[in-house]
Amino acid sequence: MTEHAATFPVLSCMLLAPLTGLVILLLLKENQKFLIRAVSLVSGGVSLALSIYTFVAYDKALGGLQFVEKFEMVKTFGITYFVGVEGLNAPMLLLTGIVIFTGVLTMWELEVRTKEFFIWILALVTGVFGVFMSYDMFMFFLFYEIAVVPMYILILIWGSTRKEYAAMKLTLYLMAGSGLIIPGILLLYASSGLGTFNMLALHGAHFSPWVQKVAFVLLFFGFGVLAAVWPFHTWSPVGHVAAPTAVSMLHAGVLMKLGSFAILRVAMFLCPEGFQYWAQLMSLLATVGIVYGVFVGLAQTDLKYVIGYSSVSHMGIVCLGLSTGTIDGINGSVFQMFAHGIMTALFFSSVGYIYDRTHTRDIHELGGFSKIMPVASAFFITAALCGAGVPGMASFWAELLVFIATVKVYPVQGLLAIAALVVGALFALRVVQSTFFNAPNPKFTHFEDVSPFLGLPRMILIATLVFFGFFPQAMVGMIKTAVVPFLQGM
Amino acid sequence: MNVMLFGPELYYLGTALVFFLLTLRRQPQVKADYQIALALGLGGLVVTTLCLCQQGELFFKAYRVDLFSQIFKFALALGFFLVLTISHNLAHIEERYHAEFFLFLTTTTIGMMMLVSSVELLTIYVSLELSSYSLYILVPLRRGDGIDVESGIKYLLIGAVSSGVMLFGLSYLFGAAHTTYLSEILPQMPQLVASPIGLLGLLLALAGFFFKLSVFPFHFWAPDVYQSATNQVTAFIATASKAAAVALLLRLAALGAGYGYSFAQALVFLSIVSMTLGNLVAIVQKDFKRLLAYSSIAHAGYFLMGILTMKEAGYVAAVYYALAYLVMNFTVFMVISEVAKDGRDLKIQELAGLYRRSPLLSLSLIVGLFALAGVPPSIGFTGKLLLFTSAMSQGYFWLVLIGAVNGTISLYYYLRVIYASYFTDDPSLGPVTISTPIRVLNYALIAIVLGFGVFPDRIVELAKAAVKTVL
Repeated sequence: MTEHAATFPVLSCMLLAPLTGLVILLLLKENQKFLIRAVSLVSGGVSLALSIYTFVAYDKALGGLQFVEKFEMVKTFGITYFVGVEGLNAPMLLLTGIVIFTGVLTMWELEVRTKEFFIWILALVTGVFGVFMSYDMFMFFLFYEIAVVPMYILILIWGSTRKEYAAMKLTLYLMAGSGLIIPGILLLYASSGLGTFNMLALHGAHFSPWVQKVAFVLLFFGFGVLAAVWPFHTWSPVGHVAAPTAVSMLHAGVLMKLGSFAILRVAMFLCPEGFQYWAQLMSLLATVGIVYGVFVGLAQTDLKYVIGYSSVSHMGIVCLGLSTGTIDGINGSVFQMFAHGIMTALFFSSVGYIYDRTHTRDIHELGGFSKIMPVASAFFITAALCGAGVPGMASFWAELLVFIATVKVYPVQGLLAIAALVVGALFALRVVQSTFFNAPNPKFTHFEDVSPFLGLPRMILIATLVFFGFFPQAMVGMIKTAVVPFLQGM
Repeated sequence: MNVMLFGPELYYLGTALVFFLLTLRRQPQVKADYQIALALGLGGLVVTTLCLCQQGELFFKAYRVDLFSQIFKFALALGFFLVLTISHNLAHIEERYHAEFFLFLTTTTIGMMMLVSSVELLTIYVSLELSSYSLYILVPLRRGDGIDVESGIKYLLIGAVSSGVMLFGLSYLFGAAHTTYLSEILPQMPQLVASPIGLLGLLLALAGFFFKLSVFPFHFWAPDVYQSATNQVTAFIATASKAAAVALLLRLAALGAGYGYSFAQALVFLSIVSMTLGNLVAIVQKDFKRLLAYSSIAHAGYFLMGILTMKEAGYVAAVYYALAYLVMNFTVFMVISEVAKDGRDLKIQELAGLYRRSPLLSLSLIVGLFALAGVPPSIGFTGKLLLFTSAMSQGYFWLVLIGAVNGTISLYYYLRVIYASYFTDDPSLGPVTISTPIRVLNYALIAIVLGFGVFPDRIVELAKAAVKTVL
């Protein structure tokens, strides 16, 4: 892969923006609430602006790795700070930028321990940005852990519904995943004999098939835990339900993508033969996840559980696309990561708004909510339509690409997944119908609808979904610049 | 003889004399004594820093001064000074014994300093005993019920047995090699390690340090001693004493480098049992210091991981982790001693509401515990990953896998402590006030734990230069 050094350290700035915000927050007092929110918003905004800049300024004709920055961290062990942008991670950086910015806006009304909340959120986001831009396995893993650990505290303090159980379960699951990842990456490091963690250099090391098979399966399951690969998904609905709104947004929207992105970036990139060997298993688990998520979701009455299980199913689509190992499949997968990230953020953001007021997420209790809060309901309904794969929304294109690829490579799994998706559409409509279009619950009639400012984050998310729904080429073309060389390298 | 070569030891000998004079006072003057101690501790830090680059040999080559030993002397001086900073209220030690506390803390430090420079079997033994005997006195110095005496005796007995075992091993080595100098034993090791007498001798000789490091099966003293010694003494045992033990293990294990398959396998076994046992038993602990004792047993397993590689990378990682462990473990002990101002044993549930009672201490606690658990960006994470990397490079796949799984288990009980301090509250517990120096110390420790975790290169390069003289 050709590398083009950055003239200006855009990526480091993107990484430092939330970190700087975090340090400023440490110096503020808890009662300066407006300042706390403003600082968080500005640092999120700077990251968002920079991520848009990298997405737009990336030279598609030139391709390769751009905005590269490198310096040696630990010479003895070959650890480098090595960041860059290519077609695969540019959408992910953009996604992170959008979700953190809208996430801060969504939590604008938070009153409990505000300062700590934003400190942990910004720490988490720093980790996420770091993972997406790193090309050094050590730093990749370091950032990965930074992104995962604050969840425990975020859920415990600001969460709801069985939060202690959920937080501990989530953390232990993800840490058990790390317990597999560490031997995986170290096996690759040690057997390469190069003494470097640089992934591009390691790509050139020809690992023996045995090493690739072992490392791939360790990395797949290790990272797969975070991507909610069935049967390691059980932490995810519970965790999403317990987490506060912005954390659900970040977690379902961005963090789960870390898992699938890492499978692509580390496992598939470094162990192509291992991937070939395990691809069948991957596609099977993904299909089970899709079908399972849809049917379990059908039985839920808590809106957040509904979204949680639909996430399991949608992440299954991402994994299914990856398992095909074709241009369309991976293209669709990455697009789906992006689209699902925005969509889930929208889901949680709108549910969060409703829950903050009514203190219930029960589908039947909400009843005809669209008559009380038409705008707030519209946000949720848009997300539901997107989840059902309605044309004109970003995820339509993503799912289409994945299914085209899957039917070619794994016809059985492909057809099963499509069938499940039809049921999924039905189930989205059922939820929408019984939550928003029944008789309104008289308890809630006194609530006012969303004000324009509080509606802003959802507007941004919807605009993104619709934009990429109508101009999918903006995203597909971007991803393609990386997928083609990626597959040639395999 | 260049005085600077023996500088740190002489300085601390002088310090010990000063404390000895202080013990002779008829009326104890606690405040003044503490200030003198603090000043002397700070001076020691300066002296060891100045002597960092000394090189040479002393006492008929029984004593080697090189970067390796000097780094560990600096670490010991740092540990000594840090323990003094939290010794401003020795609530559970009678006032008339405060000067003795300082005196024996100094003599044990001298013992450890001599230990890390010794390259001759008898010198090693004598230095080890000097440091151990002082600790045997420090542990039961706490005023209180029977448990202190019990644990003091337990410590003494297990210590005596392990040094007996060690002497036995040393006699084997001497009998087989006809010399007590490590440098002369080293060339004979290839034949010796292949024979049972050499292997057994070396393993038994390591026993004394396994005891200090609380490696299985010499770990039984740790929980009781940690719990019943005063917080300050425990802090010293848990930080400085571990660093010294790691240093000597590195020196002695180098004897088996490259030859003995069965020697490395024995260490692999001890490492796996130590970390698994430590982590599993820690889960059910209710007393915070007891929990840390089991965590130290688990960490002994991690240290062995670097030592058993017998390669530069592993040694570098072990040295880095020893320094890291000193700082991060001390961070936790500082929180304990500040929260339990009256010197009591801290139950985990007594940390309730710490985020409200003292936000800074709760932050330090979270940083320290996450570092011990190996969560980034902290020196604990970097150190642990370097240890794993070096072990994996030597092909110990299963060891690394078990180590990584152990990391997950350990996170569970560290999170329980964090849970208690952040998410439970007890209105009856009032705020914890901390003085300005302690506040500064908090910030400094947090900065070190995070800073060197992200930018470890300085320390790694230093450690690399140091281990060259050992291997």
